[in-house]
Amino acid sequence: MQVVRYKPEGLDALCRNTKFSRKELQIMYRGFKQECPTGIVNEETFKEIYAQFFPQGESSQYAHYVFSTFDRDNNGSISFEEFVVGLSVLSRGSLQEKLQWAFSLYDINNDGVISKDEMTSIITAIYDLMGRCSEPFVDENTIRDHVDRVFQKMDLNKDGFISMDEFMEACRGDASISKSLGVFDTVL
Amino acid sequence: MAAVAAWLPFARAAAIGWVPVAQQPMPPPPVNREHNRTDDLMKINVSGRRFETWRNTLEKYPDTLLGSNEKEFFYDEDAKEYFFDRDPDIFRNVLNYYRTGKLHYPKHECITAYDEELAFFGIMPDIIGDCCYEDYRDRKRENNERLLDDKDSEDGDNVPLASMREKLWRAFENPQTGTAALVFYYVTGFFIAVSVMGNVVETVPCGIVPGTFDNPSCGDRYEKVFFVVDTACVMIFSVEYLLRLYAAPDRCKYMRSIMSVIDVVAILPYYIGLFLTEENDDVSGAFVTLRVFRVFRIFKFSRHSQGLRILGYTLKSCASELGFLVFSLAMAIIIFATIMFYAEKNVENTKFTSIPAAFWYTIVTMTTLGYGDITPETIMGKIVGGICSLSGVLVIALPVPVIVSNFSRIYHQSQRTDKRKAQKKARLARIRMAKNASGAAFVARKKKEEERIRLQELGQEPEDKDDADVFELQHHHLLSCLEKTTDREFTDMDVNYNGQPTKLLGTPPLTPTMSVRSRDNKNRTTGCCARKSSRKPLKNSSDAEELNDISIRIPSSNRNSRSSLNAMSYPTSSNSRPNNIQTTAVVSMPNTSPGNMGNSQDSLHTPSTASTVSPAGGVVRISTL
Repeated sequence: MQVVRYKPEGLDALCRNTKFSRKELQIMYRGFKQECPTGIVNEETFKEIYAQFFPQGESSQYAHYVFSTFDRDNNGSISFEEFVVGLSVLSRGSLQEKLQWAFSLYDINNDGVISKDEMTSIITAIYDLMGRCSEPFVDENTIRDHVDRVFQKMDLNKDGFISMDEFMEACRGDASISKSLGVFDTVL
Repeated sequence: MAAVAAWLPFARAAAIGWVPVAQQPMPPPPVNREHNRTDDLMKINVSGRRFETWRNTLEKYPDTLLGSNEKEFFYDEDAKEYFFDRDPDIFRNVLNYYRTGKLHYPKHECITAYDEELAFFGIMPDIIGDCCYEDYRDRKRENNERLLDDKDSEDGDNVPLASMREKLWRAFENPQTGTAALVFYYVTGFFIAVSVMGNVVETVPCGIVPGTFDNPSCGDRYEKVFFVVDTACVMIFSVEYLLRLYAAPDRCKYMRSIMSVIDVVAILPYYIGLFLTEENDDVSGAFVTLRVFRVFRIFKFSRHSQGLRILGYTLKSCASELGFLVFSLAMAIIIFATIMFYAEKNVENTKFTSIPAAFWYTIVTMTTLGYGDITPETIMGKIVGGICSLSGVLVIALPVPVIVSNFSRIYHQSQRTDKRKAQKKARLARIRMAKNASGAAFVARKKKEEERIRLQELGQEPEDKDDADVFELQHHHLLSCLEKTTDREFTDMDVNYNGQPTKLLGTPPLTPTMSVRSRDNKNRTTGCCARKSSRKPLKNSSDAEELNDISIRIPSSNRNSRSSLNAMSYPTSSNSRPNNIQTTAVVSMPNTSPGNMGNSQDSLHTPSTASTVSPAGGVVRISTL
């Protein structure tokens, strides 16, 4: 088994391509390299790392979806560049970019629309993050109701699919969503 | 969690995916954007070797010394670094724990040193990584066993024995503790040997009885002699057994122990034989059988031989290997015996009459004995016989090295224990000396002070500058405070080779002239301590020979201790160097010659033996240190 070693582009190039400062990039790369000395992170490692943030729940499913969304070229591993570029969009991008990312997360099979099944999978994965010990108890009805509610809100033409435009419009129209999208930037 | 702190921004960013489907709005961000968390380098200087790491790295484990603000105690403002006066080699492992999250234990380090460093830096040894954990635990276990051994033997020697019974038990268990015990040990050994020899010789044909053609065994011929010898031995054994039973701290446990069972089995045949008469034929058969049990007396030797005990212990500890050996042999025997029987069944006059009869052949073949009293005739039988012997070699050879290595390990361990015990005496003596040194230093210093005060009173200049270090001064001040508190004084006891404290006569710390010393001697005899034997005051080098073998000369921190001190001592100095203080030498005695010194305080000066006589000063001296 050959160990792949990956070296990212220079600090300056990354600085230009992302919205992070040099110092922040340095800190992030050090952490990245510490966990993944080979320079790339594969899905297993990714799931392990993600699991550490959600100790009570079952985070592998959601981590899988996030991983696939980050892994733009679908080669099964995320390099530091992909990581940092994706992160730059998520933390410091515009509302549009963030919503686009969320849409691509939900669109599991990348066909341009979100079906009810995909939405159900995503929402199930999110509830799984909570784990068994949540109050009140989660069961299938909860998830089904939640999916129905979301679809009702977003599926404007009621065709059973949510397209990109419908998604954008619905989210932009909802003030709380727009505000909430800004709270996830992390200070390094 | 802290180890993946660098991924937190990512996890938080990925949570954007929750927002569109969230049921409620998200809470505002907790940390202000302007909050600047600097990540700076920290310099750590460990005994000169410099380590540098990020502050974040150390803060990963906030309940350790380096991760908490406890390290601020070690901050050196001038050099802007944290200084630890510890072992840099072990610190390397500690720092790597912060860096990688795994604590390793280097095999070449001493386990106690390592544990101490971990304790200092506030790290629990439980988090040692799997790669090193086994080794760590093994070493720790060995160390604990060694400590336990030491403690046991130490306690064993020091525990004062309350009763006759305990003394007796100790004498039985450790023959080295006294001459009586040793004598008893050898006597019993001798009688065991005699008894066993008697049993053996009893059966040897003694020569033709003149007048007949008989050649009876010695036992029959000299029946009375052997009976008397046997009786004597059994007497001794019975007495020994009863004494041990009496002395045992836990009689029921003792009765169940293997040695006591052997004792009982050794003497029982004799007593049973006494009650059986020889006329009754059935019973006499049993009587003969009983005599066989007399051979168990030879096991009593295991008290006398450590090697035998180790062998027994080894067999016990290798019980599983032995069990495996026996089981696999049994399996193989049954298999081969069955095959041999059916192969040889049809041969004429075969000795393989049944499978159990074939067992004998199989055993003899597998252990490669090959008596040849029963051999296969058919080709099939011979083939099977060949396979049998080959496999026998293998099956037996496999568990044997395990048993051997176990035996070797246990044997070496017991040898090490013995060696440690032998060295312990010398070691303890050295430790005692070192302890006495500090006490002696204190007393010497006290005397110096007194002398200086006296000289100043008399208007004379103090002879030496006092440049003892600050720490010593304060330590001694503390001891002085203690003395004042308890109204007692520290003295030193000098013990000569007899183990008796020597009473030293000493001069007050004046100029060390012989005249002064002799004056004091005269005065001494008038004092209450007259009954103490007097010793001639020492000339500097003459009494070196009287030095007891454990006293040594060590340089004391009181560099200015004058020869006056040396003059006071004795039993140790072949010392021409005024700077040395004999450790056990300094002895102080209550000042019983009030004429010599003015006040009771001077009683501190005269070196004397610890005595319980109350001097004029009313201060009761007790010997300490």
